[in-house]
Amino acid sequence: MVDTGAASLTASEKAGLDKAGSDRIGVTRAWVPWAWSGFLIAMLAFLVLYPTSMLLIGALTTTNPVVEGYSLADISIGNFLAVVMNPNVAAALGNALIACAGGTAVAVAIGLAFAWVVVRTNTPCKGLIASAGMLPLFVPPLVAGVAWSILGSPKTGLLNLLLNKAGIPFRFDLYSMPGIIFVFGIYYAPYVYMFTAAALRNMDPALEEAAEISGASATRTMATVTFPLIMPAILSGMLLSFVVMLGIYGIPAVLGAPANISVLTTYIFALTAWSPPRYNTAAAVAVILMIVTGVLVYLQQKIVSGRSYTTVAGKAFRPRPLNLGKWRFLTLGLAILYLFVVVVLPTIALFIAAFRKFLFIKDIPALFEAKQYGWQHFIKMFDNPLTIASIINSIKVGIITAIVGGLLSFAIGYTITRTRAPGRRMIDVITTIPVAIPGLVIGVAYLWAWIGLPGGLYGTLWILALAFVARFIPDTVKALSTSLLQIHRELEEAAWICGRGTLSTIASIVLPLARPGVVAAMTLLFILSMRELGSSLFLYSSGTMVMAVQLLGYYEGGNIGITAAFSLVQMVLLGVLISFTNWLSRPGRGSGAIKPDIAPTGVVRSG
Amino acid sequence: MSSELRVEQLRKVFTTTTAQGSALKAAVDDVSFTIAAGEIVVLLGPSGCGKTTTLRCVAGLEHPTSGKIVIGGTVYTDPQAGVLVPPRNRNLGMVFQSYAVWPHMTVRQNVAYPLKSRGVKGAAQDNAVRDALDLVELSAYADRPVTQLSGGQMQRVALARSMVYQPQILLLDEPLSNLDAQLRLRLRDDLRRIIKRVGLTALYVTHDQTEAVVLGDRLGVMRDGKLLQLDTPSAIYNSPADLFVAGFTGATNVIEGRLVSRDGAFGVVAVASGEHVMARMGHDIAPGTPVRVALRPDNVALNPAGEGRNRFLGGVTSRHYQGTQTVYQVSVLGTAIEALEVGSAARYDENSQVTVGLPAEACWVYPADR
Ligand SMILES: Nc1ncnc2c1ncn2[C@@H]1O[C@H](COP(=O)(O)OP(=O)(O)O)[C@@H](O)[C@H]1O
Ligand SMILES: [Mg+2]
Repeated sequence: MVDTGAASLTASEKAGLDKAGSDRIGVTRAWVPWAWSGFLIAMLAFLVLYPTSMLLIGALTTTNPVVEGYSLADISIGNFLAVVMNPNVAAALGNALIACAGGTAVAVAIGLAFAWVVVRTNTPCKGLIASAGMLPLFVPPLVAGVAWSILGSPKTGLLNLLLNKAGIPFRFDLYSMPGIIFVFGIYYAPYVYMFTAAALRNMDPALEEAAEISGASATRTMATVTFPLIMPAILSGMLLSFVVMLGIYGIPAVLGAPANISVLTTYIFALTAWSPPRYNTAAAVAVILMIVTGVLVYLQQKIVSGRSYTTVAGKAFRPRPLNLGKWRFLTLGLAILYLFVVVVLPTIALFIAAFRKFLFIKDIPALFEAKQYGWQHFIKMFDNPLTIASIINSIKVGIITAIVGGLLSFAIGYTITRTRAPGRRMIDVITTIPVAIPGLVIGVAYLWAWIGLPGGLYGTLWILALAFVARFIPDTVKALSTSLLQIHRELEEAAWICGRGTLSTIASIVLPLARPGVVAAMTLLFILSMRELGSSLFLYSSGTMVMAVQLLGYYEGGNIGITAAFSLVQMVLLGVLISFTNWLSRPGRGSGAIKPDIAPTGVVRSG
Repeated sequence: MSSELRVEQLRKVFTTTTAQGSALKAAVDDVSFTIAAGEIVVLLGPSGCGKTTTLRCVAGLEHPTSGKIVIGGTVYTDPQAGVLVPPRNRNLGMVFQSYAVWPHMTVRQNVAYPLKSRGVKGAAQDNAVRDALDLVELSAYADRPVTQLSGGQMQRVALARSMVYQPQILLLDEPLSNLDAQLRLRLRDDLRRIIKRVGLTALYVTHDQTEAVVLGDRLGVMRDGKLLQLDTPSAIYNSPADLFVAGFTGATNVIEGRLVSRDGAFGVVAVASGEHVMARMGHDIAPGTPVRVALRPDNVALNPAGEGRNRFLGGVTSRHYQGTQTVYQVSVLGTAIEALEVGSAARYDENSQVTVGLPAEACWVYPADR
């Protein structure tokens, strides 16, 4: 499908190019841009519009697509409303909103404090703290959930074991709403941090100095100048982290299930796992999730596109860090405490669980008995042929996603930013639609789109890859557009003046300059698809098991040792890939080429 | 209300960290000056010479390494004695280079802010705000959000905000540098009128010499953290203290030579071609020393009428017609200098022979090693 499309572009554009090239005064054929836009819109319709429409149909009908095929016979809003009225759905929605609101509140408290420490104080090693602070973004939510269940399960959690040995009667219970809120909050604080730190950095320090000169005290300055100015950024980071939490499956699945707390995402998956599967109800709940997400994303975009106070004067500011005196060691200590809780503790927990024969630990000395440790979980894990198969499948899906997604994103990005092709506004709009669709909903939509078509994509690796392309296309197109916008128009025009045609200019000027951005976008797509759980849940089959789902399988199978071992394997794989991306975009590489800055933007929505 | 400002031996050293490690750099180096109450002093110098740092030290936003800042007889900064009054207690007004008007407030809220900080309420506040806005002619805009204003209007808001509480001293950091050329000319005149009407003591910082001349009662020329000369504009232009001040204020012709003799205020300088040039002596220089003679292109006379001293034979090597004036490259005295003639008609062709007159009182002799 994709290949034929790309070939048709090459053929048609080449035709125009050859003509212009051969007789110099040749007229560009008027139908070429139309054909090109038509091709892009058709691709997007196939990837985004068709599955979303099928999802809506699923939500409005009651026929089971597997048994009866698609039918519009009983289409009615009543079917959807019946689901909305269901008390279980209401409970899941309520729980989701409570968990995300609580998580967001924790994330704002931590993220704001972190931003202030890093940008506005002379805390030692703050550069290091800032980069370490981004690490939680790269931890897959399921891994985070598993690690915290090892640490904080009420009976066997390692933290509770320590408390017990220390004779403290208090126990942590992560299998609870506060537990979910806590884990959400600490893992998604970097979102709030990214937004507020950028706003603080871009704010003219003279705005605060002017308040000081006017006679305002430090607290008054903060309340009347600093806060109002960074408020849009805080709100924006809040809404974004709320939306991401709303779409997360791994954390509530692990921490909520034992306490019977279901949120929208876990409820949707449970519906499709019942027998017979409730595909229509799942579609309806997915639509609810999509509506809530859509409203929040709309609000966030409004705030972002509204007046941005922080860029009033367009110059680079010299930061004016507050001298904290000896208090700077307190701020350093707090930052280290956060990093310890969010990075070090879970890692230790995973290591212990992965290498210990039995997670039951009698006392503290038993924790250090060497004979208790070994590779047995890893050996058992690799004895299961599904493990290797899932890794290979994930790599295959990652490669397809990276290539298809990278090419399509470049084509769309170039068309939107550089051409006057007809319908490019429409292309732009369709491309941004998936921003408001959580991964899990994309999964349900693709399920609906293909499960009723025997011999179609369902059950192949392609359905996973295409769902991932659809899911991440807004991010990659945005990153590539930014990268393309940095290439001055005149560089391209100069090549045209030199007698080059459009394709030749793209190949000789635009691609080489944008190459780091394109490569980084593809690597990022690869990484994101390797760790994507939400949409995979509904699209894998026994032959196309992928890593994230296999990990969930191990967890639900109850073997915590293998689960931890596989988590570590995945973290190492991701770590290697991320270092590779950083290496690709390291400064000084590819002289003159546009430096990509997309790693954080891409991870932002994926959770 | 306005007070005298005394800056004594101000020094500010920054630690700059570069790839090679950290280095110490004096941004302000032993600067002393006094501004009388109600006087406007302009600090002039190229970018990076330490003007902003000096201003920020006076404001209390920067902590100097050493030195003293005394306003109206009260010591506000004296690191040796551990005195460092925070900016909010200095009762100063400051206009920032970026204006720093608060984008989330209206014009009125911006101007009222310092009054609120001072607990001025009700009718007193309203009156003060109205007067300040009248002064900068922005009364009609009082309730607009500042983001809807033009650059020139924002600048006026910043000015009104800095004057509304009748500060002891007004500090202005290149307030016109972000405006377009036309507006800059107009506001430059307005600014002086407004400050003088209120009778404020003002310290104004700029890199633009014409701005400095028009605005200042006195100018101080700075370079590399040092204050080279502080004097009236006419003194700076007509008897620059050294070669840098001369060059910075437009005396771009420099003729190398050796001092032969001196006679009171004038000296005789032997130049490369062996001819002798008479020029004013600002410094005490012993005969025989290598010197440089500086003069402005507009003081070079081509084919001057009548008889006189300092007349030399030269040739026009090139001519640059600029509409209302013409700049000639003239080869004379074994070197090349520029001559500027006002008028829309260029009088000389390239390669024509001319007599070059260098008025002795417009030529200044400086030691060559500085
Ligand atoms: N906070 C600072 N840290 C390090 N160097 C500084 C700082 N502020 C100013 N400088 C340096 O001090 C010198 C003078 O700066 P500044 O006073 O801003 O110059 P001006 O306003 O005359 O352009 C410059 O070389 C500048 O780089
Ligand atoms: Mg400056």
